[in-house]
Amino acid sequence: MMKNLKNYIRGTLTAVILLLVFVMGCSDLSGGGGCSGTQAQGWSGFAAYQKDICFGSMEGRVIALNPQARSDNKTFPADTEWVYIIKTSAPGAACGALCTPSASAAGQGIYGTPAVVGDLIYVGTYTGKIYALNASRGVVRWIYPREALDSVGAIVGSIVTDNQSLFFASSNGKVYCLDAATGDYKWEYQTSNKIWITPTLDNGILYLGNYGGEVFALAADTGRPVWNVQVPSAVASSIAVDGDVLYFGTFDSYLHAVDKATGQEKWKYQGGNWFWAKPVVKDGKIYAACLDSKLYALDTSGNELWKYVADSPLVSTPAIAGTAIYLVGDKGMLYKVDIQSGAEITRTPVGYTVFSNPYVDGDMVYVYARDHNVYAVDMARGVVVWKFSSYLK
Amino acid sequence: MIDIWNVAILDPLLNGLIALSQVLYKNFGLAIIVLTIAVRLILIPLTFRQTQSTKAMQELQPKLQELQKKYARDQKKLQQEMMRLYKEAGINPLGCMWPLLIQMPIWIALYQSIIQALAATPENLLALSQHLYQWDMVGQAIPLNEEFLGLKLSQPDPTLILALLVGATMWVQQKMVTAPATDPRQQQMSSMTTLMMPMMFAFFTLSFPSGLALYWVVSNIVGIIIQYITGGGWGYFKFPSLRPQPQAAPAAPQKSAQETKALKEGSDKKKG
Repeated sequence: MMKNLKNYIRGTLTAVILLLVFVMGCSDLSGGGGCSGTQAQGWSGFAAYQKDICFGSMEGRVIALNPQARSDNKTFPADTEWVYIIKTSAPGAACGALCTPSASAAGQGIYGTPAVVGDLIYVGTYTGKIYALNASRGVVRWIYPREALDSVGAIVGSIVTDNQSLFFASSNGKVYCLDAATGDYKWEYQTSNKIWITPTLDNGILYLGNYGGEVFALAADTGRPVWNVQVPSAVASSIAVDGDVLYFGTFDSYLHAVDKATGQEKWKYQGGNWFWAKPVVKDGKIYAACLDSKLYALDTSGNELWKYVADSPLVSTPAIAGTAIYLVGDKGMLYKVDIQSGAEITRTPVGYTVFSNPYVDGDMVYVYARDHNVYAVDMARGVVVWKFSSYLK
Repeated sequence: MIDIWNVAILDPLLNGLIALSQVLYKNFGLAIIVLTIAVRLILIPLTFRQTQSTKAMQELQPKLQELQKKYARDQKKLQQEMMRLYKEAGINPLGCMWPLLIQMPIWIALYQSIIQALAATPENLLALSQHLYQWDMVGQAIPLNEEFLGLKLSQPDPTLILALLVGATMWVQQKMVTAPATDPRQQQMSSMTTLMMPMMFAFFTLSFPSGLALYWVVSNIVGIIIQYITGGGWGYFKFPSLRPQPQAAPAAPQKSAQETKALKEGSDKKKG
């Protein structure tokens, strides 16, 4: 009996060792993030509500921070601060036969920057839910879909609003419209492939692109398609609008300029990698951050005006404030660049990978880094003034 | 070290896989199958050498056991005698290991390529951007079409079909190459190993992306075919008989093991 048991243990150990050797191959040799890939954690940016800044954390929480309270090093939550913990009950986007919702490979990530309308703040999650919270207290007003286990598919882009309605897109390839006050369903539009970008709303028209390379315009009030064009590659970035032209990046490393009324291409410009971040347009100039670590400044004909070379890929959408443009490299370096010449004004390290969009308020820049910390950086002095961990033990 | 790995092995394989999917009408499942078969075919000489070495080592087992019994108290002498035996038989004891060691990085790279190419999460997709070549063909294939035969390749198979296929094919492949040991303890251990591995892989299939499980199944099937051709049949794998087996006597397992050993020694003498 003992002999059998010993043999059983020995056999099992051998099998486990062999398996470990094999599985090690897909662990971290190339930084790929394991056999099932990296968990979906999210990279929410910040939305302002009165004196607070609100964001969705990588642990599935919506947090309102008061910069003054953080600067004074008060115990969280202080003054107007709050936290809302999202209970994961939706099945998520990538859950196998062995997954339980709480252990889902889908993670609890929040990718989109929250949207604020009146006293409500809206957040979409990777588990496929929209939460409307009271922006001053963090109390839930409504959740869509209503049933706990229902999901609209993983939401990666942000929510946009015209104050009456909310618009968002999902991994199931649908664009949704909800009533902003009640969360009631208004319409949906099915496309042929998943959408991981934020819809762009301009004069009652929504502009989107999907991973099937479809770019389309929808009437915001009905969801009726206005036009639809096919581009050679999937759409990587959200769409920027300026005058009569739309600008967006695709996975074949091009930045496209298309006619807003018809979707017909005007010109395209090739970068060294994907234009993943939404282009920013100001005063007739297009600023496009690229994963080749460069920020390109182009004129409206697609001619390069200047380019700024950062130290690492530019994942997040730059922010323009005054005469400067603020960038974050994915290795955690913040750059302040002159918008006219492309000359670097200053740079400050936060010391950790950042994928989220920077939020600029005067000289202060806020970023949410992959170490789960919010960093408040004074760009004038080049120092991190405070940091806040979203772990909230 | 990571950079060398990426530039020399992972990136070429990853980009090749993605370009292949574009050629195969944006069908990534088909690309996994074709590339797995191609890689296994390229590695046939190594697989063949490994099989031959393993077979030779297995044939030498009875003599090795004899030596182990004979020199149980003199390890130095045992080592010398074992080396002499290997030399006489013209076998390098590590001969069955090095083809495996050469193949391992390729398997690992293929394994990683599938995971990275599928990019199940936004973070994975971002990571993928740093591995891709500036080929139009690659750029136009991204993100890959993950639908294949009703499966979503970046997500686990919600049914048990792939898990069963992975387990069954792996078990058959292992049975074909695992010789029945003469020692009942070893026999028990090896049958436990041949059972545990497929069971564990089947278990992992339930939570790994089904693209990876597809690779396992195809790799196992190709392995079985190669083994069938190079080994001249089903090897040590025996199909379960439908006829009722005669009941064994209580002392049968020990006796039959001894008999097997005696028969083996007899046949070795004849060969000598």
